Amino acid sequence: MRFILNKNLKSLVLKILILVSSLLINQALAQDLRIKISSGQVEPLPIAIADFTGQEGKANEIGRKISEVISNNLVGSGQFKALESAAFIAPPTSPSVRPNFTDWSPLGVKALITGSVKNIKNQQVEVEFRLWDVVAQTDLIGLRLIVDSKAWRRVAHIISDEIFQRLSGDSGYFDTRIVYVAESGPQNKRLKRLAIMDQDGENHQYLTDGSFLVLTPRFSPTTQEITYLAYFKNEPRVYIFNLETGQQELLGSFPGMTFAPRFSPSGDKIIMSLATKGITDIYTMNLNNQKVTRLTNNSSIDTSPSFSPDGKRVIFNSDRGGSQQIYIMDSKGNDVKRISFGKGRYATPVWAPKGDLIAFTKMLKNKFYIGVMSQDGSNERLLAEGYLVEGPTWAPNGRVLMYFKQDAPIDDGKSASVNLYKIDITGFRETRIITPSDGSDPAWSPLLPN
Amino acid sequence: MVKSTFISIGLHVFFILVAYYGLPSFKVKEPLEQPIDIVEDTLISSKTVLKLGNPNKEVKKIKKDIVKEDKVKKKPPPPPPLPSKKIIAKKNIELKKKKKLKEMAEIIKKKPKSKIEKNKKVSVPKVKTKPKEIKQKQKKLLARGILKTLTKPQPIINKDKINKSQNNKNVLNKLKQMVGNTSKRSLEPEAKLTQTEIDKLRNYISKCWETSIGASEVKIIIPLKISANMDGSVNSVEIDDQSRYVKDTFYRATADSARRAVLDCSPLPLPKNKAAQFKSFFFDFDTSFIYRY
Repeated sequence: MRFILNKNLKSLVLKILILVSSLLINQALAQDLRIKISSGQVEPLPIAIADFTGQEGKANEIGRKISEVISNNLVGSGQFKALESAAFIAPPTSPSVRPNFTDWSPLGVKALITGSVKNIKNQQVEVEFRLWDVVAQTDLIGLRLIVDSKAWRRVAHIISDEIFQRLSGDSGYFDTRIVYVAESGPQNKRLKRLAIMDQDGENHQYLTDGSFLVLTPRFSPTTQEITYLAYFKNEPRVYIFNLETGQQELLGSFPGMTFAPRFSPSGDKIIMSLATKGITDIYTMNLNNQKVTRLTNNSSIDTSPSFSPDGKRVIFNSDRGGSQQIYIMDSKGNDVKRISFGKGRYATPVWAPKGDLIAFTKMLKNKFYIGVMSQDGSNERLLAEGYLVEGPTWAPNGRVLMYFKQDAPIDDGKSASVNLYKIDITGFRETRIITPSDGSDPAWSPLLPN
Repeated sequence: MVKSTFISIGLHVFFILVAYYGLPSFKVKEPLEQPIDIVEDTLISSKTVLKLGNPNKEVKKIKKDIVKEDKVKKKPPPPPPLPSKKIIAKKNIELKKKKKLKEMAEIIKKKPKSKIEKNKKVSVPKVKTKPKEIKQKQKKLLARGILKTLTKPQPIINKDKINKSQNNKNVLNKLKQMVGNTSKRSLEPEAKLTQTEIDKLRNYISKCWETSIGASEVKIIIPLKISANMDGSVNSVEIDDQSRYVKDTFYRATADSARRAVLDCSPLPLPKNKAAQFKSFFFDFDTSFIYRY
């Protein structure tokens, strides 16, 4: 039989197909109501940090200390505000017990941290914590560590890092160390020693005895090594100091050097500025074969070089344009571009570990500023100011800066005090780091290996 | 043959509709379980800070009640009181009356036999329908009507075709109605909600959204699927992009903050008489504003 469709049937089929397709398209397009929320509050998150409890469910001395360190870390980051423990209705007894959230939500806290410390044997303790979302009434993260009881402070830093990452999304920076130049004595006979401490100023130690003047320590991004500049018989020498072994290695003597070299991201190369015949240019040195390569060749002063996190570009300051400004070039010294165009002079640019921002020192109208800008020079923001603020160094997560600040000199023969400060990149919270003596030239370490 | 094509088309349409509406995987995204990021798992005990009292006593009480109820059920029902002599006499009279009534009823039920003779032929007088005299005007009108019907050729109308076309029209109308309904359904919420109402809700949530500077890393929109009750209370909050929630720490932290904002803001200030539109809807949290900080 022949299959014949008359005109009416054809048109009917066509209409049905059109209608069915439109039905399906309509159904597919029939979406739920959508409301865009394009603003919110970037404010410190209210949290409650309960004292870590002992074996009987009551707070003990180490537990209280750990809670205190965690609280100081999180509040010091500028992203959290901790509720006073006196306001707690029912302090938690154990991190394993689900808290009664109705005791916490009226206090306005969004997150709760509970924990415990239990003695095991041979001076070892088991530290356990849990982070709770009070609003969603769920746990977010838990961790248990077995450590030597003397290492409770480091455990507190590790726990702080975990909490910080879970609540902010950024990696933490609390389990890190700071190397700086400890200064003491009168202005005309200043004693400068290399010192190291935790990022919160605890566990302070001197690395050098002060027999030589030391300057500008820099951390390796990959290993627990630092480079620093020391003057031996008025000749600047660059040393590499291994923090794990305590051994020092002389990298070489570099006449005309004023700043210590910085490591490349891979750690196998250093970049520095050297002055020869009154002209300062930028050089790199391969640490494996000590081969030196010149990157800039200009009659101006090119100094303070810093690698980008991918190692493909270099940022530095130069007066080649008439005033001291920030420039960018590739790692071979080509394609030089100026990126700072604001008023005043710019110095000591440092690329953030994430690569999104560049920190710098700015001098304008007899004042110094610490600021940040995008890598193309836009979005410049000044975070801190003072009579002399200089030497910014980035925390490994790229969200906090440390620098030193010097007060105005007083005409009484004493030198003005110099102190270390840290500030988050929002610029809302500036905190002084307490050191045994004056401190300058800080350098922030990467996260310590576990 | 035509029938078979029509049936096949119908079946195709039917299967498409069944596949779309019937199978849940086509329409609804099954929610994934939200994993908890635990570096090292710590078991949660069954302990709680809630004071629950002594549960054993309550159990005993319940058991006692059950035992009592059983005992009550096992007791036999009390015997009915013995009837008095007067009541017996009355009952006897009633029984006699009932018997008489039954007898009467039986007599009535017996049908009397009747003989009815059927008339075989009924003679109806014949009526003369044609009048002898017809008016001339009437004749003219009749002639015109006949002419009209003759001048206009009528198509040969097949009854089957008429039925088919009517059926087709019905099918088309039904489909049109369906399409019309869906389009109306999809447009209804946006058409009804005013910009002021949306802005009010937006501002309300914005005040509750406390997020971190870390969210500037994300710079994208985080959709949350919300289900709200008629009184504005939030029934459920679902993070839509679960795969990214698991992988991306920034996304996860920001999505959590957005979820807290919605739960904290509950109940939502939904416009009156329009709360039904918020049974299932999305809040798209845009983090681009954080970059300004």
